[in-house]
Amino acid sequence: MSHEYVPEIAVDREGKEHKVQGWQDDIYGAKLGFWLFMFTEVLMFGAMFMALTYYYTLHHDDFLIASSSLNRVLGGTNTVILLFSALTMGLGLLKMKHGDVKGAKLMIWATIVLATAFLVIKGFEWSAEYHHGVFLGLDALQAGNADSKPFGQILFFGMYFTMTGIHGFHILIGIGIMLWLLKRINAGKVSPEHYILHFNIALYWDLVHLIWVFVFPYYYMIGAGLTGGAH
Amino acid sequence: MAISDATYKEEYKRYWLVLVGLLLLTALTLIQPTMFMENATFAVQMLIGVVKAWLILMYYMHLKGEKEIIMFTYFSMFIVLTFFVIVIGIDVANFQYGDLSHIISGDEAAAASQTHGAAHAEPAHH
Amino acid sequence: MSKTYFDETHCAIGHPKSTFMQWMLTIDHKRIGIMYAVVMFTFFFIAVATAFLMRLELYAPGAQFIDGDTFNQAFTLHGVIMIFLFIVPGIPAIFGNIVMPLMIGAKDVSFPRLNWFTFWLYILGCIIAVASLWVGNGFADTGWTFYAPYSLNTGTNVIFTLVAAFILGMASILTGLNFLVTIHRLRAPGMTFFKMPLFVWGIYSTAWIQLLATPVVGITLVLAIMEKYFGIGIFDPAKGGDPVLFEHLFWIYSHPAVYLMILPAFGIMSEIIPAFSRREIFGYRTIALSSASIAGIGYLVWGHHLYTSGMADIAKVVFSFLTFFVAVPTGIKFYDWMATLYKGKIILATPMLWALGTVITFAIGGLSGVTIAMVGVDIHLQDTYYTIAHFHYAMLGGVVFLLFAGMHYWFPLVTGKMYNEAKAKIAFYIIFVGFNVLWFPMFIAGYLGMPRRYFDYLPEFQIYHQFSFWGAVIFITGLVFMFYILIQAWRKGEAVGVNPWNATTLEWHMPTSPPPLENHTKVPYVDFNPYEYHHGQPVVKFDENMKRID
Repeated sequence: MSHEYVPEIAVDREGKEHKVQGWQDDIYGAKLGFWLFMFTEVLMFGAMFMALTYYYTLHHDDFLIASSSLNRVLGGTNTVILLFSALTMGLGLLKMKHGDVKGAKLMIWATIVLATAFLVIKGFEWSAEYHHGVFLGLDALQAGNADSKPFGQILFFGMYFTMTGIHGFHILIGIGIMLWLLKRINAGKVSPEHYILHFNIALYWDLVHLIWVFVFPYYYMIGAGLTGGAH
Repeated sequence: MAISDATYKEEYKRYWLVLVGLLLLTALTLIQPTMFMENATFAVQMLIGVVKAWLILMYYMHLKGEKEIIMFTYFSMFIVLTFFVIVIGIDVANFQYGDLSHIISGDEAAAASQTHGAAHAEPAHH
Repeated sequence: MSKTYFDETHCAIGHPKSTFMQWMLTIDHKRIGIMYAVVMFTFFFIAVATAFLMRLELYAPGAQFIDGDTFNQAFTLHGVIMIFLFIVPGIPAIFGNIVMPLMIGAKDVSFPRLNWFTFWLYILGCIIAVASLWVGNGFADTGWTFYAPYSLNTGTNVIFTLVAAFILGMASILTGLNFLVTIHRLRAPGMTFFKMPLFVWGIYSTAWIQLLATPVVGITLVLAIMEKYFGIGIFDPAKGGDPVLFEHLFWIYSHPAVYLMILPAFGIMSEIIPAFSRREIFGYRTIALSSASIAGIGYLVWGHHLYTSGMADIAKVVFSFLTFFVAVPTGIKFYDWMATLYKGKIILATPMLWALGTVITFAIGGLSGVTIAMVGVDIHLQDTYYTIAHFHYAMLGGVVFLLFAGMHYWFPLVTGKMYNEAKAKIAFYIIFVGFNVLWFPMFIAGYLGMPRRYFDYLPEFQIYHQFSFWGAVIFITGLVFMFYILIQAWRKGEAVGVNPWNATTLEWHMPTSPPPLENHTKVPYVDFNPYEYHHGQPVVKFDENMKRID
């Protein structure tokens, strides 16, 4: 990373000088690149939502029944946790921009703690579902045996575990990236003058939150009216 | 230090304001299925989701201040996804093999062939 | 003697002394492009050999050397290698990397270290794809399209190929991302979008497709893996899943993928035609915008691969209409190219020969696509040899021929040498004749009912298979001869200057031949159009310090 990069100057026929944008020190380029990458993530989750919607139209009632059996207390708690983690991540970036490197690192640690809490709660959710016999590979979600659920519910839970699993995987990656960010800050590579990496990682975390903003209501809330509340 | 004290204070307040907004919307999400517009739960939930997403994109992700290209990218994506939803929607709504289908149960098959009308009540035999 | 990019390089990690490590760790876009070319053509010939094996088997009805299951694995291997390892990375990986930054006056792409990482991601994908040949029940036998439910139930190594395709997809996305940011950010001062060479327009449109379409197939492959190993039910009819959903999701990528293949190739055509007609290209703006519109409309036509899969009739009609519509921008390009040739001073050098040959073969490929865009016709011709002839005329006779054209055009730029013109022309003619003898009979065979992916057939089709076989022999001989000529030229060819074709675009204004590591000595201010010729001579001239002297 050469902070000593000196941009080239191109001269036109009137003698006017124009700065040549090089690949080094291109802050807007780094931002643009990361937004484009996030776009691909949105498309991946979007395709899964599309598949989910197709089956929802085929099996409307079964989807509501399956949805009502999910734990809204745990799911709702996770939603609030992720919300606050987006705040802490954003405040961390703000503090970095303002010169408060120590405060920024504290906020990143807070985000990591909240993210870990999210995963722990998700773990509880999944193990509760496993103990109720609802899990990938167990009889309820297989076809043709005594405990088999109807088609719509099998599909709902199949996509539920897939999407929350892939989302959780992205949270895990996010924790790893945040730990790496802390290392880069300590090494002086990320600072109040050069914080584009911090900016992009905050964007990533907001994307992870954004996906949950749609995952939560789609899975947990559509059937909430059936049983009238949590669990 | 890239920003002044004044900017810091302003942005700090904004982060918390947006958080309050998001928390309120989350509360709305949690109470809606049992409190109001219960028969349109899916639509209301998705709408609330879109509002939350808009707040996050504009303020937390600073999309408001970015150049047009980033905005253009996201809106063109919505158009593309909408098209996929529309065309697949047309395909699904006009499904004509409902009574031959193993994966659609009795009432769903009836619903599917009803949408398509009487003209295709008898599927072609090869 | 001044240094070229072969003498020095920048590396991702450290400053290695050995030449080997310098190649392994290089972040220079020119070297990365060459490495892609070497790996891709190795796999190309493996896939050609696999195809030849199939042609040999199909020479006569009945089993001769291989059984039906092996045949299924053979056409799957051929498809997977040709599509995912060769033609999708294709022209962007080679010439997008080597030439595009030179054309816009940049020193490298926007993210050179990401470029290096992407290359090795591609290699990882290649290794995983091919490894399954020797593991367990051997290579997948599902066809490169992996349709459910067979791909879920077969015992062959579908997982390897799915994982490999996912990784290769990631490499494609990252390349597209890199090129998009490069073209947006690193153009020389003064070079607006409508002063960019048309090859850059082609790469730009392609990069959008790489970015927007590939994630969909990426997640489809992940879902297929989840289905096969965790039984989530999404594509399994026993659990209420819909196999046609897999087809929709698969083709939502795979159709735009073919535009991803052809757009850079059309870009190469748009570079060669003006250079060898010695005049400005006709309709620059329409060609540029047609690239963008092909990319856009190409997203909307995937359903034409699913006409026989049980879609609603109205959906078929919608897709058929849009498919006809997407042929229009391509037609515009063809007319613009013809108009450029008209009253130009045509120079029939080898690149031009390839370009003109492609006009013929791609016209056949494209038009045969339009015939099967008709729903009624496609019900009869779907999954027959007609379809195979169509896409080989389009992909092989379109994309690969233009890749060869680009290879002959930019050969002096990349290597600093020139090949034997007479021999290169002979190679072209052998390949062109062989290609048509190989593929044209398949249109007829398909029309008469010969199904694709069939290991055995009725005796009435044998004559067509025999024609194809001898066409394949001629075609492969030509290919081997062509590569031999180019490799010999690289090793022992005569050295040539920086602009042997006297072309106008910026990649020909290098200080040395081959170019130095940092490309242009000075980035010029671009206030001129890319194809300005006056009486057959370039208008814009630079001296060695990139100062304008016209």
